[in-house]
Amino acid sequence: MAHRYNLMTGQERVKRMFARQEQDSLPRMESFWEDTLTRFKDEGLWGDPNDLLGSDFRGLCWSSPFPYPGQNITIAEDEETITTRDEWGQVNRSWKHRTGTPEHLRFPCMEKEDWENEVKPRLLANGPSVNLQDAKRSLAIGRRRGQWCHLTGLETFEITRHLLGDELTMIAMLEDPEYLVDVSRTVTDLVLRDFDYLWENCGPADGVWIYGDMAFRSGVICGPPLYRELIWPDHKRMADWAHDHGIPFIFHTDGDVNSVIEDYIKAGFDCLQPLEAKAGMDVRHLCPTYGKDLSFFGNCDVMIYATGDRERIEEEIRSKCEVGKATLGYVYHSDHSIPPSVSLETFEFIVDCVDRYGNYN
Amino acid sequence: MDTQLLTSAIVAGNRKDAKALTEQALAEGLPPQEVLDSLIAGMDEIGGKFQRNEAFVPEMLIAARAMKEAMAVLEPVLLAAGIKPEFTAVIGTVQGDLHDIGKNLVAMMWRGANFSVVDLGTNVPPEKFVEAAREHQADLVGLSALLTTTMPSMKATIEALRSAELPKAKVMIGGAPITPEFAKEIGADGFAADAASAVTVARELVAG
Repeated sequence: MAHRYNLMTGQERVKRMFARQEQDSLPRMESFWEDTLTRFKDEGLWGDPNDLLGSDFRGLCWSSPFPYPGQNITIAEDEETITTRDEWGQVNRSWKHRTGTPEHLRFPCMEKEDWENEVKPRLLANGPSVNLQDAKRSLAIGRRRGQWCHLTGLETFEITRHLLGDELTMIAMLEDPEYLVDVSRTVTDLVLRDFDYLWENCGPADGVWIYGDMAFRSGVICGPPLYRELIWPDHKRMADWAHDHGIPFIFHTDGDVNSVIEDYIKAGFDCLQPLEAKAGMDVRHLCPTYGKDLSFFGNCDVMIYATGDRERIEEEIRSKCEVGKATLGYVYHSDHSIPPSVSLETFEFIVDCVDRYGNYN
Repeated sequence: MDTQLLTSAIVAGNRKDAKALTEQALAEGLPPQEVLDSLIAGMDEIGGKFQRNEAFVPEMLIAARAMKEAMAVLEPVLLAAGIKPEFTAVIGTVQGDLHDIGKNLVAMMWRGANFSVVDLGTNVPPEKFVEAAREHQADLVGLSALLTTTMPSMKATIEALRSAELPKAKVMIGGAPITPEFAKEIGADGFAADAASAVTVARELVAG
């Protein structure tokens, strides 16, 4: 069994990673599907698998401005599925007894008038979408554990897709960009309002981590020119908010975003996560190319993890950790979330590999 | 009229022009097959741009919507002339998976390429794919999955289709976790990484 060098707290380690200063070992964190957690529990893991890994990160909140906070109305159900209207106002069909992406049946803004007359006024009238007491509690735990504590929230494109649905969002980008921009500016204001509220009432955080999927496996969802015109200004506002508060900005997106990395750097993004390997993202290319301007977080291929092939898993982790360490700007994480096809025994081996190859000499 | 205008209207995703020009072309007595070919040429062009990273999902969506509006005008005329889509495709998200965005996009693109498409929806069990493929005499069966956990359902569906002895029906698969290696491993006839290449692969498969 390998052992991680533990001479620093997670907070110190991550701060030094962003400053490109020497660390004892790579900062680390992992994500899991719900079914994976169930499997690990069935296989004997008590508690959080991130404790097994030794996560350096801790989220304080989840800023997600819902038009209908607390709403969860059951519309229909059968033995396997349940159809509900949720806090977004979406009608979704989901599994009753397992996790998975739901089927979206209806979105709250099917017409522009729905946004103008119903959803926007509701959003503006609602209070903060974050829970102050939970954030305070999480910050206290994070500080006690020495973790890097971050404000977390959704980014504008993701929220817009929740409100309009994919199809109408993308059609609006081309046919009614003013509408799209109105939604984008409004929801970005609300996320930043949440962060202001927590900063004032909970205390300073160490960073901002924003989630939004901008791409799929073959490339970005909307072309770079459209992204620059419509979405990028709000991404920059979010990154500016973090920098105005003296903290770095992490951006999560799945998919192949190679074509917009320069735009992300110009917007002031400090770190990109989780770098989906099957979409062609590869830190062995990204770190040497952009490592001075951007930190990278993730990229270890869950499809390789799912094979259970120890030789391949070890090589995947070794090769990516080694190239990441060379820039001092890398954080270990998989390229998505650990799927339930990975056993607890395999995950323990993954932790062992991260211990072995994550230490700086 | 210049049928290139029809093609251009589809490429630009201009649904008003696509509809009006289709009406105009028919009113001027252009053969419905020629009108159809011009519209399909537009979808092909936007598909090619997508594959070359010159167009993206928003541009594809508005082109498909323009095609749909033009087809609403053209379809009754085609039917009256006894012209039917040459190929029939059955598509669905496999059992255990409720994700539908990718599947819907592929169905839209296949319709744009003049396939008759039977969309079975999400969480489709293998027997339902078999039943629909038989009933509609499908040339093509498309299986979609988002989750690694539902990939085994693809294998089960392909096994069911093979057991049902539907020699005409070619099977292609796609979805976020799917790789060409996995497609080969489970015996699929084809794999597409995105909605535009789904058209190219589908055409190759049905052409035999």
